[in-house]
Amino acid sequence: MAEKLVPITRLGKFFGGEDYALDIGMGEEWLIGDMNFTVILYRIDRYKTKTDDVYGEVLEDGIQFMAPVELKGYVQVMAPSNKFLGNSRVEQQEPGNMRFSIYQKTLEDLGVDIFMGDYFGYYESEDRVRYYVVNDDGYVKSDNKHTYGGYKPFYRTIVATYVSENEFNGI
Amino acid sequence: MLVKMNSTEYNMPLPKQVIPTLPLVPKKTLSERREQLLEFIKKDGTYLPKSVLHADLDRGMLDFVKGDLQVVTAGKIVPMIDIILTTQNWSQYVESATFVNLDYNVEPPFVTVVRQPEVKYGTNPSLQYTIPNRKQFYYASVPTWSGNEQGMDIYTIPQPVPVDINYSVKIVCNRMRELNQLNKIVLQKFSSRQAYTFIKGQYVPIIMNNISDESQMALEARKYYVQSYDFTMLGYLIDEEEFQVKPAIARVAQVVEVDTSLLRKRRKKYPENPSEFLSNFLYVSGITTLSEIIEFTADMTWIGSENISNFDVFINGDYFGSNVNKIQITTNDLLTITVTKNDNTQEGVIKFDSKLV
Repeated sequence: MAEKLVPITRLGKFFGGEDYALDIGMGEEWLIGDMNFTVILYRIDRYKTKTDDVYGEVLEDGIQFMAPVELKGYVQVMAPSNKFLGNSRVEQQEPGNMRFSIYQKTLEDLGVDIFMGDYFGYYESEDRVRYYVVNDDGYVKSDNKHTYGGYKPFYRTIVATYVSENEFNGI
Repeated sequence: MLVKMNSTEYNMPLPKQVIPTLPLVPKKTLSERREQLLEFIKKDGTYLPKSVLHADLDRGMLDFVKGDLQVVTAGKIVPMIDIILTTQNWSQYVESATFVNLDYNVEPPFVTVVRQPEVKYGTNPSLQYTIPNRKQFYYASVPTWSGNEQGMDIYTIPQPVPVDINYSVKIVCNRMRELNQLNKIVLQKFSSRQAYTFIKGQYVPIIMNNISDESQMALEARKYYVQSYDFTMLGYLIDEEEFQVKPAIARVAQVVEVDTSLLRKRRKKYPENPSEFLSNFLYVSGITTLSEIIEFTADMTWIGSENISNFDVFINGDYFGSNVNKIQITTNDLLTITVTKNDNTQEGVIKFDSKLV
């Protein structure tokens, strides 16, 4: 049975589907054509990944990935901070989180989705890649900021935290 | 005047647990029950108990909540998150769970188990600080057999390490009746303060500590009930890496057959080295030819046959004669006698008197 579709008619006096598509297209031209921030998305295959039956944690070498995908979006990396590890006296400078914003249309065109636990790889320089794990996949995008003034959700903001190389180091 | 009564007032209590038959096999008690418990521990394994470690205890708690604290309301089972929530697994779980909504959020009602990460030295009184230094204790003597050597192996294990693990069983729901149902089940189950879960053949006690309410009732937020039941599992760790198997006694079986009859046989007064003696050739059923290397030089005189009509004699493969009365044989000759029996299904005998020359 076909999915029931309801046309969006709000803001109809001065804004509609064509305007929306035009603005998204211009935005993509700026974001992808001019800015061209690129991250590599490593999606975890949740169904093939082997986990134990008590904690649901991945077994040794049991994690399975889908094919990596190159994504274009807006990357913001927060400032690093000095922290103790827990209550220990081990002090270290931790890299800041990455905020990655991407058009929903880009994801739909590529046919991919991003979930908590997936990994990003981001080349800081030609020879230095840093990996991040998604801890907020921005799946709920109903707020005004993400809905183009209340018209329709059009982008997602994903927050990812850096991971050490012994957790993930590319595939 | 008609009084309209609530329909629930007409509900009559009916017994739900009707047991139509009497149990034919009585439950085991005392030492038999102890042996049965020991069988549970050894089941599907060696003579030793299986390891019981943290993950086994956690799995036991999950099984206990899933089985013994199952909540059913309006004919539906309230789903339970069947893993201990850790830092890693949540996103994976919600993607494969069956009770999530369009935003990939878990939809109430559901029950979840939270384990306090720290596991402290246990308060189980039967195990506390009684045996120092991980001393090994006798557990079982197990017979061994290598094919020709019988022995025993002594299995020893150290005292299990007691551990206390604190769990919170939380129900998240939107209806009071779901809270009531779980509360009823928990209070019934823990009416004697403790209940037991069954982990690898061993009963591990769980005690209930506290019941608290964490419901979200803020005015400008989603409202839902959360109630938390705090339990402590009085578990113990058994690590098979600490088991020891040592050889004990071993012995070689030597079987000696002794004639125990009281009558002594009279010794035959033959001369020690006779120069004349009987040489019998026994043809068992189906055999008609016998060969033998003769280790002496003698004249062999035929003295009789049984079940044999005639016989042919060959010496060193050369035909010597048929039905001969005397055979002259020399040391290391190969004597072959082929017979014709009267009845081939029976044994036959040819007797010769050998006289050394």
